[in-house]
Amino acid sequence: MSQAVQHAWADLASLRQHLGAGFVAEETMGSLPVARVRREALRECLRFVKEDPAWRLHQLSDVTVLDAMQLRDNERFDVLYFLHNLVTNRRLVVRAAVPEEDPKVETAVPLWPAANWGEREAYDQYGIVFRGHPNLKRILNHREFVGHPLRRDYDIYKGQWLSEADDLTDELERRHRENPERLADLEEGETMLLNLGPSHPASHGTLRNLVELAGETVLFAIPEIGYLHRGFEKSAETHEYNQVIPYTDRLNYCSAISNNVGYAKAVEALCGISVPERCQYIRVILAELSRIMDHLVCNSANLVDLGALTNYWYLFNLREKIYNLIESVTGARLTNSYTRIGGLWSDLTEDFVPHCRALLKEVEPHVKDTLKLVARNRIFLDRTVGVGAISVDDAIAWGYTGPCLRAAGLEHDLRKNDPYYFYDRFNFDIPSGHQGDTYDRIMVRFEEIRQSVRIVEQALDQLPGGPVKADYPLSVMPDKTQTYGNIEGMVNHFKVVMHGITPPRGEVYDWTEAPNGELGFYIVSDGTMRPYKCKVRPPCFYVYSSFPKLAEGGMVADGIAILGSLNIVAGELDR
Amino acid sequence: MAVKDSRSSSGPQTAGSPGPSRLAHSGPSARVSLTPAGQETSTGLTDAVILTKLDEVVNWGRKNSLWPLPFGTACCAIEFMGVISSVFDLSRFGAELVRFSPRQADLMIVAGTVTYKQAPILKRIYDQMCDPKWVIAMGVCASSGGFYDNYCTLQGIDKIIPVDYYIAGCPPRPEAVLQAVVDLQGRMSSRKADL
Amino acid sequence: MGESYQPILFVLLLAALIPAAFMLLSARLGPKRPLPAKLTPYESGIKPLSPPDQRLQVKFYLVAVLFLIFDVEAVFLFPWAVRFRELGMFGLVEMFVFLLILVIGLLYAWRKGALEWR
Repeated sequence: MSQAVQHAWADLASLRQHLGAGFVAEETMGSLPVARVRREALRECLRFVKEDPAWRLHQLSDVTVLDAMQLRDNERFDVLYFLHNLVTNRRLVVRAAVPEEDPKVETAVPLWPAANWGEREAYDQYGIVFRGHPNLKRILNHREFVGHPLRRDYDIYKGQWLSEADDLTDELERRHRENPERLADLEEGETMLLNLGPSHPASHGTLRNLVELAGETVLFAIPEIGYLHRGFEKSAETHEYNQVIPYTDRLNYCSAISNNVGYAKAVEALCGISVPERCQYIRVILAELSRIMDHLVCNSANLVDLGALTNYWYLFNLREKIYNLIESVTGARLTNSYTRIGGLWSDLTEDFVPHCRALLKEVEPHVKDTLKLVARNRIFLDRTVGVGAISVDDAIAWGYTGPCLRAAGLEHDLRKNDPYYFYDRFNFDIPSGHQGDTYDRIMVRFEEIRQSVRIVEQALDQLPGGPVKADYPLSVMPDKTQTYGNIEGMVNHFKVVMHGITPPRGEVYDWTEAPNGELGFYIVSDGTMRPYKCKVRPPCFYVYSSFPKLAEGGMVADGIAILGSLNIVAGELDR
Repeated sequence: MAVKDSRSSSGPQTAGSPGPSRLAHSGPSARVSLTPAGQETSTGLTDAVILTKLDEVVNWGRKNSLWPLPFGTACCAIEFMGVISSVFDLSRFGAELVRFSPRQADLMIVAGTVTYKQAPILKRIYDQMCDPKWVIAMGVCASSGGFYDNYCTLQGIDKIIPVDYYIAGCPPRPEAVLQAVVDLQGRMSSRKADL
Repeated sequence: MGESYQPILFVLLLAALIPAAFMLLSARLGPKRPLPAKLTPYESGIKPLSPPDQRLQVKFYLVAVLFLIFDVEAVFLFPWAVRFRELGMFGLVEMFVFLLILVIGLLYAWRKGALEWR
């Protein structure tokens, strides 16, 4: 066991001592320590690991629920809290069993504001009631939905129509009660309620905000999400492990390959498969190219919201060039489905390396052209500097990871702090900002594009030969030359297609540094060829929950600029 | 505004029952020249043949200035962004100005998955568009729900609004979108103008 | 002197006729299908919560009026620019007096805080 895990085991002893009878067992989830506690002690356990100096788990990465009705006979649900210390890289999973007849648990919102939306989702999808939660409402499914769809006994085909969208006045009234001082010197009827609704050019897809305006100033902003909730998690439960890969493409659709890589890495960790070096290098190269593409979309859309349309044309030209390269390798422009469990769909083409090198030379001129128009532009600076600033501590407490956190000032990147796939062999820097405002977020992304170019160049230099598929005949699809060439290959192919991959029973939580932040996958296997549960930890979900904090007090136009800079991708947000 | 589905919602949906388009207002008879593809009535042949000069001029004007309303929800919206940018350039065909307001647009391109939560929004935006209006369902999610056959996804926008053109693909290549617009323009010029 | 005004009259005529033609043609040629759903106000697909005749804050009006005044001032500068040489020193002094009066107005607005968005 590595040093970090040893440490974690030792400190679980202090947690066990503190909780006494509340502590049930120490478990593991892959390489992560898990503290199973009684649900009455859950809140105290969370408070302890947040505040105890040995732990200081200041970030709540994710909240989810496991419906274990087909795995065991005692309490039906397990509520899981995934915690993380970004500085020491310690992680812990705290879980408590909750019975079906009384699905109540105390909320963790006073400890981490990130728990707000995480617990709402757990309530929406599973029906766990979090006592003391300020706003326990459905978040992904619509308000007329009856039932909790991620429970194992909910039929996936049972759709429910909605007659009229929620008008959100109940949430607005609650916010009025919480902050009455904002309405203090305004008369009745002087404020205006406006829907920056789900069909709006600046809302980047299907995001809705109900804002209460006094003139141009935003007094209250109430986000509503779930307009693109497409049932990724339930679909994953009804498809085989390899069949889930196209669904992962459509999570953060601006950088599809990163999601493929993240998911494949998690399932491979669950199965205990390690992929060959060449496969890891190729995944790194394509993931970094996806990162460049994602940042290009985010920044060009953000600049369009500010009024700078020219950059959009410039940067999309570059995106088309990257698409050409990726299409030549994966066969598709946007939704690639390139990885497979245990490897890749196929090896790189012969002209990939020279084509890629030529492409990398084109990135810098395009980025420089854009920055020439924007970086010292007085209007741009006025509109972005100081707009939507957030401090590092707040950012961590709200669950920020990725460029938004780095813009706030914390140099945290999972590729450096917790390297995977040979990232420790590459020389690259982690750009970070000062005050976490819109300017910092945009500039951090531009700089990350440059760093990704460096990584890809080094990866191309170091690219080894060898196979791209791991040697696990029962899990990995053989090459087509084998399938059509000999009987063993054909039978192997048949077996993998018909019987699927069957990881051993167990759970895993694995993460990658996706363009938006920590993209985590919590996968539970019951030994069959379909995942029992596949939860995505979406980086922009937690970032968007802090949008009211960033936008309130500023003007509407600033709110639009902030929204663009957070890179909220609805596919990932709503899954 | 209520668009309730009267099919029983327990158990799997039967695959072969598409159901009529759910229009909350007057039925297909009010929309003579804009019946969705595949639902041509038998009288469609006779009134498509004789076009007056006025029809031709009006059709020419309308088809060369189709202003799209990109109702973009998901991945197809990113591909649509590629269609309107310089390499594929939809504005060559007159669809230059993307207008997000339904009052200013003729052509609604539904790019991406529409969930049941989004369905009332889509219906309302469609209703608020001024006539004449056309709808393109871009991508398989808008056409039929795509591979999201589950509890939250609308299995095709033609359950709630009439569609003039379906583009298959997940997401469709930009060239497919361009073909859709050009085909639609062709169809517009061979029908009587909606005056 | 009559001929120099003819182009202006022609432009004014075009400016009047073209929009009138657009409006007439759309009214005549466009299909008319008023439906209750179509006439609802647009607010990104949701039913609007604020009434349309909401009172607005007065600072919007203030910004609009200030803009109008200084825009008209800018318009007045154009004929002077066209006939700069002919008007010579007389024109210069006259226009500076004009500008001075308006600058005093601007300074007053500035000191009174009308240029701050509060």
